[in-house]
Amino acid sequence: MKRHSILLLTLLLVLSLAAAACSRGGKSGGSSDGGDATTLEFWTFNELHDQFYQHMAELWNEKNPDRKVAIKGVVYPYDDMHNKLLVALQSGEGVPDLADVEVNKFPNFLKGTPQLVPLNDIVEPELDNVVKSRFDIYAKDGKYYGIDFHVGATVIYYNKEILDQAGVNPDDIKTWDDYAEAGKKVLEATGKPMTTVELTDIISVWPQVMQAPGLDELQTADGRLNLTSDIVVRPIQYQKKLLDQGIAILTPGGNHHAEEFYGFMNSGGAASIWMPMWYMGRFTDYMPDLKGKMIIKPMPAWNAGEPRSAGMGGTGTVVTTYSKHQDLAKAFLAFAKLSYEGNIEIWRFLGFDPVRSDVWNDPALREPNKFTDYFGDDIFDTLLEVKDEIEGVVINERTPLVTDAFRTTVMVRTLQDGEDPLKVLQEVQAQLQ
Amino acid sequence: MAQSVPSTPRQTASGGSRLRKLAYSQSVAPWLFVLPFILSFALFFAWPVLSALNMSFQEVLPGQTRYIGLENYRDLWNPTFRKALMNSTEYTVYTLLVLIPLPLVLAVFLNSKLMAWRNFFRSTLFVPALVSVVVAGTVFRLAFGELEGALMNSIITAFGFEPQKWLRQEGLAMFTLVLLATWRWMGVNVLYFLAGLQNIPRELYESAEIDGANTWNKFTRITLPLLKPITIYVLTISIYGGYAMFTESYMLWAGNRSPNDIGLTIVGYLYRNGLEQANLGLGSAVGIVLLIITFTVTMIQLRLTGMFRRED
Amino acid sequence: MSAGNVLERRLASVGLVVLFVLLGVFAVSPIVTLIVASFKPAQEIMRYGLNLRLDPELLSLKNYAFLFSGKSLYLTWYGNSLLITAIFTVLCLFFSSMVGYAFAVYRFRFRNVLFALVLVTMMIPLEIIILPLYKLMISLKLINNIWGVILPFVVAPLPVFFFRQYAGGLPKDYLDAGRVDGCTEFGIFFRIMVPLMAPAFSSMLILQSLFSWNNFLWPLIVLKTNEQFTIPIGLATLLTPYGNNYDMLISGAVLAIIPIMIVFLFFQRYFIEGMTAGGVKG
Repeated sequence: MKRHSILLLTLLLVLSLAAAACSRGGKSGGSSDGGDATTLEFWTFNELHDQFYQHMAELWNEKNPDRKVAIKGVVYPYDDMHNKLLVALQSGEGVPDLADVEVNKFPNFLKGTPQLVPLNDIVEPELDNVVKSRFDIYAKDGKYYGIDFHVGATVIYYNKEILDQAGVNPDDIKTWDDYAEAGKKVLEATGKPMTTVELTDIISVWPQVMQAPGLDELQTADGRLNLTSDIVVRPIQYQKKLLDQGIAILTPGGNHHAEEFYGFMNSGGAASIWMPMWYMGRFTDYMPDLKGKMIIKPMPAWNAGEPRSAGMGGTGTVVTTYSKHQDLAKAFLAFAKLSYEGNIEIWRFLGFDPVRSDVWNDPALREPNKFTDYFGDDIFDTLLEVKDEIEGVVINERTPLVTDAFRTTVMVRTLQDGEDPLKVLQEVQAQLQ
Repeated sequence: MAQSVPSTPRQTASGGSRLRKLAYSQSVAPWLFVLPFILSFALFFAWPVLSALNMSFQEVLPGQTRYIGLENYRDLWNPTFRKALMNSTEYTVYTLLVLIPLPLVLAVFLNSKLMAWRNFFRSTLFVPALVSVVVAGTVFRLAFGELEGALMNSIITAFGFEPQKWLRQEGLAMFTLVLLATWRWMGVNVLYFLAGLQNIPRELYESAEIDGANTWNKFTRITLPLLKPITIYVLTISIYGGYAMFTESYMLWAGNRSPNDIGLTIVGYLYRNGLEQANLGLGSAVGIVLLIITFTVTMIQLRLTGMFRRED
Repeated sequence: MSAGNVLERRLASVGLVVLFVLLGVFAVSPIVTLIVASFKPAQEIMRYGLNLRLDPELLSLKNYAFLFSGKSLYLTWYGNSLLITAIFTVLCLFFSSMVGYAFAVYRFRFRNVLFALVLVTMMIPLEIIILPLYKLMISLKLINNIWGVILPFVVAPLPVFFFRQYAGGLPKDYLDAGRVDGCTEFGIFFRIMVPLMAPAFSSMLILQSLFSWNNFLWPLIVLKTNEQFTIPIGLATLLTPYGNNYDMLISGAVLAIIPIMIVFLFFQRYFIEGMTAGGVKG
C-alpha cells in the first residue's frame, strides 16, 4: 500500500506541474493583429457577433494604422454571460471593455449608477440617419448607453403557396380585420390556420400593442403601468377570437423558437406568422423546405394609416466604465455599428436590418446572399415601406418584470385557460405595483 | 515496506519521540485528519456565506448599495415565491418516494446471486447520469412535446389515450419532472446502495438461512438495518437535491419560464429575481431561506434516524 | 434442494432479467436516440423531431468530423475538462476520505458541531456565494486558472458525508488490531481502512469525477477565455437566442459521455463484496 501511495503522490505532483505549465500558456480568444494594437476585451453570447467584430477590427486597422485594435472576444452562454457581467460589475474586477447586452437584460444594467460609459458624443451626430427608437431603449436620463445591431422591425411572413391555394392576395390585407377575413378564407380552402400565436413568449402580442399610435404601450411613455388600457386588451381579445374560430392556433411548443414549431411550420402547418426581421435566419436555418415559398410583407395595422411595425428584440453593445481605453472603444464601436460602412457590413455579415435607414436603399443590400436566395431580393422594400412607422418599446427597470409576467401568466391564462383578459391584466397590474 | 515498525510505541528511542507520539496519539490524530475541512471551510465558505447573509439585508446596486433590513425577506412573501416553494416541496416529496425505495430494491436484486449479467445492467442504469443536463433536458423536452408525433404522445396514443400537453399543465409537468429525475438519478442511488451492500458479510445471510429465515426476513432483519447509514445519506442528499433542483426545470422549459410557473423552483426564483434582475440582495435572501429550510428538515430527519445519538 | 425450489429460483432469475431489460431500455433509449441523431444533420431533427429513423442516405460522420477539424474549440474544451476532472478527483478523494473517516472513527470534542458544519456547507446554494467567492478568487489570483475551479471544492461535503457513513459501518476491531501492531493513526488509515473502503472509494471516484465533468456554474465564473472553457460551458454557448447549433451540440454531447463511461466501467469492478468478511478471524 505504501508503494501505491508514493506512486499516487508522484502522479499528483506530475499532474500539478503539468497543469501549472498549461495554465500559464492560456492565450486569449479570437484576436486580430497583435503587435502595437490595443487589446479590447469583449464579451458576447453569440459567436457571430464576435466574428463580426473581428472583421470590423480588420477594416478599422486598415483605416487607422496609428490606432490599431485587437479584439479579444469571449463567447459565453446567453443567460450566464449577463449574470457574469453583473457579478463582474458589482465586484469591480475582471470587467471587459465592451460587452453585448441583450435588450431584455439591459434594464438590469441601468439600475443604480450605470457602470456604462455614456455614448452621446458618438450617437447624437447620427440621430437623423437612424431609427431613433432603437437608441431610446438603451438610454436613461438622456444618456445613451448602448448601440444596437438592428431595428428588429416586425413584419409578417406569408407562405405564398398556401395563400395562393386559398386565392388570397397578401397586398390586399391592410388591417387586422382584413387579416381575419383572409384567415377565414384560408381555413375554408385549405383547412390550415392562418397563423400561430405565442403562449410562452411575447413576440406575438407585444408588437400588436405597440402598433397603437403614440408612445404608450405596456407602460406609458413616462413609465407607468398601462396593462389595463384598451391598447393592451385589444390584441389579446383579437387573438382569442382567432383562436376560437380556428383561424389561429397556439404555437406548438409554446413559442416560435421551439424545435417543435420549426418542424410544424416547415411542413406547411400555418399560412403566416408575424415576427421581427431577424427571424429570417430561423427560416433559412431550420425550415429549409419553405425556401422560395415565403414572402415578407408589412404587418397589418389596426386602422388604415396607423403604424404597421414595431422594433422587437435587440442587443446593445456597451462600453464599461472600468475600461482603460474608453475613447478608443467608443470610436471603434461607432465605426462598427453606427457608420454607413458598418451598417452595410451588418447586413452582409449578420443578415440584420441595420439601424441606419439611409443604408436601406444601398444596392449592396440587394446582393445575393442566403436571405435573398430564400425570400427574394426585395426584402428591404418592405422595410422602406414602413420606415417611418416603426414604433418603439418603453424600456425601464420594470420592463423585465412586465415581460416575465406576460411570458408566464398573462398569455397562458387568457389564451389557454380562457380567462377574461381585462380581469387577468388587472390582477397582474396590481401585483406589479 | 522497507522501514520496520517498532512493535510497541514505548520502545522508540527518545530522539524525535514527541513527533512519533503525535503520530500515534488518538486525541491529536482526528484533528489532523479534519484539518483540511477546517481550512477549506474557513477560507472558501465561512466568509462568503457571511457575506451572502450580509447582502441579504442590503439592496445591492452598483455604487448605491445600502442596508434595508428585513425588506428582502418581506418581499419574498409573494404568490410567485410561494408557488416556487410548493413546487420544490412537492418535487422533493415525490422524488423521495420514488428514488429511495426503488433503487434500494434494485440494488438488492443486482447484488443477489440470481442476477445474471449484473455488471451490464448496473451500467445501463447508470448511463443516464453521464449525459450533460443540457442535452438530457433538451431530449426530454422534445420527447414530451405536445404534438401527436412526439415520443410520449405516440406511446400513449398507441394505448388509446389522447395526446397530452405535458409541459403545459400542472400535474403532468410535475410528472415529467419526476420522471426526468428518476431516469437520471436512479442509477446513482443504486450505486450508493450497492456500495453499502458490499459491507454486509455473506455469512450473516447464510447463518440466517440456517436458522430458517426466508427472503423477506433476511431483507428486513439484516439488509435494511445494515444499510441504514447509507440510506440516511441518500435521504439527506435527496432532500437537499430536491429543494435545490433547478437545471432540470430550466432545461425542460428552455429557460426559466414555464406556463403559470408550474415548473418554477426555489433556485429558479433565485435566478429569475436575483441574478437575472440584478437584485443580488433578494437573491441572497432566497438562498438563506433555502439554507434554513433544508437545514431544518435535514436536522429533523437526522435526529429521527438517530444520527446524533451517543451510541458508539 | 427440492425440484420446486430450483424452479422458483429459475423463474426468479428470468423475472429479474426481464425487469432489468425493461429498465435498461427506459434508461438507455434517450441516449441511443441522441447517438442516432448525432449522425444526422440537424435539419432532420427540425423536420421530424428526434427519432430512431436510420435512413442510410442521411447518416454520416460529418458532425464528428467537424469536432475534430480544429474549426471549433471542442478539442480544447475536452482537454481542459479532462485535466480539471483528473486533478480534482484525486485531490477530492484524498482529502474528503480523511475527513469523513475521522468523523466516523474518532470521538473528539466538537465532533458533532463540525459535522453539522459539513452538512451546512452541503446545503449552501452556490449561487449566493458566487459574488464573494469570485472576489476571493481574484484576490488570490486564481481567476482563469484551473486551480480556481478546483480548490474551493476539494474538501467536498458529499464525499465527506459518504465516507463517514461508510467508515462507520466498518468493524472497529481493525483499528485495535492495527494499534496493537504498532501502526500510526495515519498508517491505520492508509494501510488498513482505505483498502477496506474500496467500494466507497470506487463509487465516490465515479461520482466526483462525474460532478466535475458536468460542472457548469463555478467554472463559468472563474474561466475567462474561450480557450480555457470546459465542455459544459462550451456546449452551452451553442444554445443562443438566435438559434442553436444542434449539429455540434449533439455530437459534442455524445463524445463527452465517453471518458466518464470509461471511468465507470473501469472502477466498478472494485465493488468487491464481502471485503470485511474473514479479516479479523485468526
